[in-house]
Amino acid sequence: MATLIEDVRTRAVVRPPDEAPRKRRRRLQTESSRPAGVGTYIAVIIAVGLFGVPFVWILLASIASPTQFSQGAEGLLDVSWDFSNYIEAVTRINFGAYTMNSIILSTISAVLSTATSALVGFAFARLRGKGQNFLFLIVVATMMIPSIVLLIPTYILFSRMGLVGTYWPWVLWGLAGLPYLIFLFRQFFTAIPLELEDAAIIDGCGWWRIFFTIFLPLAKPVILTSLLLSFTWTWGDYLAPALLLNYDNTTLAVATASGYLDPRGNGLPTIQAAGAVLYLLPVVIIFLFAQKQFMGSSVSSGVKG
Amino acid sequence: MSSTTLAPVAAAGDTRGRGWRRYRSRTFYLFASPWIIGFVLLTLAPITYAFVVSLTNFDGVSPIWRFIGFRNYVEIITSDPGAWASLIRTIVFTIIVVPLSVAGGLALALLVNRRIRARGVVRAIFFVPSVVPVVAVAIMWRLIFNRDAGLLNLIIGWFGADKVTWLADPYAFYALIIMTLWGLGGGMIISLAALQDVPVELEEAARIDGAGNWRVIRHITIPMISPVLYFQVITGIISTLQMLVQPLLLAETSSIAASANVPQSSTLFMVEVYNEFFYNQRFGYGSAMLWIFFVFILLLTLGLQRLSKRFVFYQVAAGGDD
Repeated sequence: MATLIEDVRTRAVVRPPDEAPRKRRRRLQTESSRPAGVGTYIAVIIAVGLFGVPFVWILLASIASPTQFSQGAEGLLDVSWDFSNYIEAVTRINFGAYTMNSIILSTISAVLSTATSALVGFAFARLRGKGQNFLFLIVVATMMIPSIVLLIPTYILFSRMGLVGTYWPWVLWGLAGLPYLIFLFRQFFTAIPLELEDAAIIDGCGWWRIFFTIFLPLAKPVILTSLLLSFTWTWGDYLAPALLLNYDNTTLAVATASGYLDPRGNGLPTIQAAGAVLYLLPVVIIFLFAQKQFMGSSVSSGVKG
Repeated sequence: MSSTTLAPVAAAGDTRGRGWRRYRSRTFYLFASPWIIGFVLLTLAPITYAFVVSLTNFDGVSPIWRFIGFRNYVEIITSDPGAWASLIRTIVFTIIVVPLSVAGGLALALLVNRRIRARGVVRAIFFVPSVVPVVAVAIMWRLIFNRDAGLLNLIIGWFGADKVTWLADPYAFYALIIMTLWGLGGGMIISLAALQDVPVELEEAARIDGAGNWRVIRHITIPMISPVLYFQVITGIISTLQMLVQPLLLAETSSIAASANVPQSSTLFMVEVYNEFFYNQRFGYGSAMLWIFFVFILLLTLGLQRLSKRFVFYQVAAGGDD
């Protein structure tokens, strides 16, 4: 596993600023791709249809009336631009409060886990200690432990400690750092040339100052990636808030999944659609704006968020 | 494993005094301590705790429980048809989903690596499904799978087929597969990056020797990016085996405790575990299932690691320039 990850790492796009392989890469890429033929375009159009249709369908459903929706395609292809589902989606549940909860939790997770992961990543990249290689092997191995296998016992432990219903679990998870992000920072810091810290050490800098004044400023792109990734992970997470929070302080994920019901407990599809669109929009916007940034990082470790 | 990347730092350290090395070592443990403490408390402790609980008949609430040794494990293995059926279902699910999503991701990557119009937009359309939060994904697909108003039944209706209740047995299994495959764009991005590292000269040389598109892909491209494909297979297997939230949400479970509503055909192993915990309140029994699963995944990963040496081509010499 370790050699494998090392190998994937060599393809990392997140690189120290002094290397500039991007230019070379782009040249290679244009050379390797000859102009596409008709067959390619047919395949692309079919695939775009397959992957894009669920988006079109949910948008249609979100502006349809319940009767139009129940008529199926005839009704949906005939929808008028009616945003009452959206109004219903934000008023039927306490949408603003749930959004706030999601933002608070995601920010706690993002800030804490990025800060800790940078620190730990730096330690593994730049410092030496006894048993360090073994510890790093554990970091890599924990990326492979099924997270669900951990979550349920964690839930039992936290409920015994009285932490269920509070935001403390996210603070603790954040303070511990995330193996994936530790790995990301470690890769970045490892590739920075030695001379940089040598000069600082000769000038009498301690490791803390080296970390804060030299390495951290260089790592801005990685910090941004890490913040975006961890923010969207917590935003999109369903199981942890469903298990660990109460109905009034839970996140938008849980509220969207279970809030849009009629009095008999049946789902309201058109309002669910509108709620889901509102809920997924921030994540999609973040990823579209930071596409390059994110794609690079997802490559560097190959783990999907 | 990290000797090459770590070497420069270590070498420099040797030129300095012992006190400096001790300072550096102390700083290492100071900097790494948040993770070390976190690992012990948030990973090691829960998994050990799960093991201890698995030896009891703890039900989650009642203070009266006792050690029953390995009785839970024996019961799961010898007399729990539900556990076995869901395990086999999960393995079948993984065997279907993982190869399809890795191959599909590679196919998409090959497509968008060509010089096509609006390449950025096309890539985004393939990629975005893999970042959409799972709750929204489930709501989207419930609309598509809706019996009366869904798109899928409309399409199969054009071909004269009858309406299918997609979210009930036995079709829920296939619905889950379709929904999972929709997210394969995450793998596409990884394959795409690997494709862009394949030396053009190799492909050009093969073409000059008369190889067609397919043969270039089969004999040059795939071997060159095999480490990345293998990586996707491993992580894909691990994440697919532990799938839980998708079947729960696809079944339109309105409350978290009502997870027994998941149709049997989409009750994967983790759903079964989940039911034991939160529906049957058998925390000890569920913990034992978790541990069996944990060991199962561990052994599988090690086994695949052994096997991989025969299939995966590691580019040793040429890797240095990157």
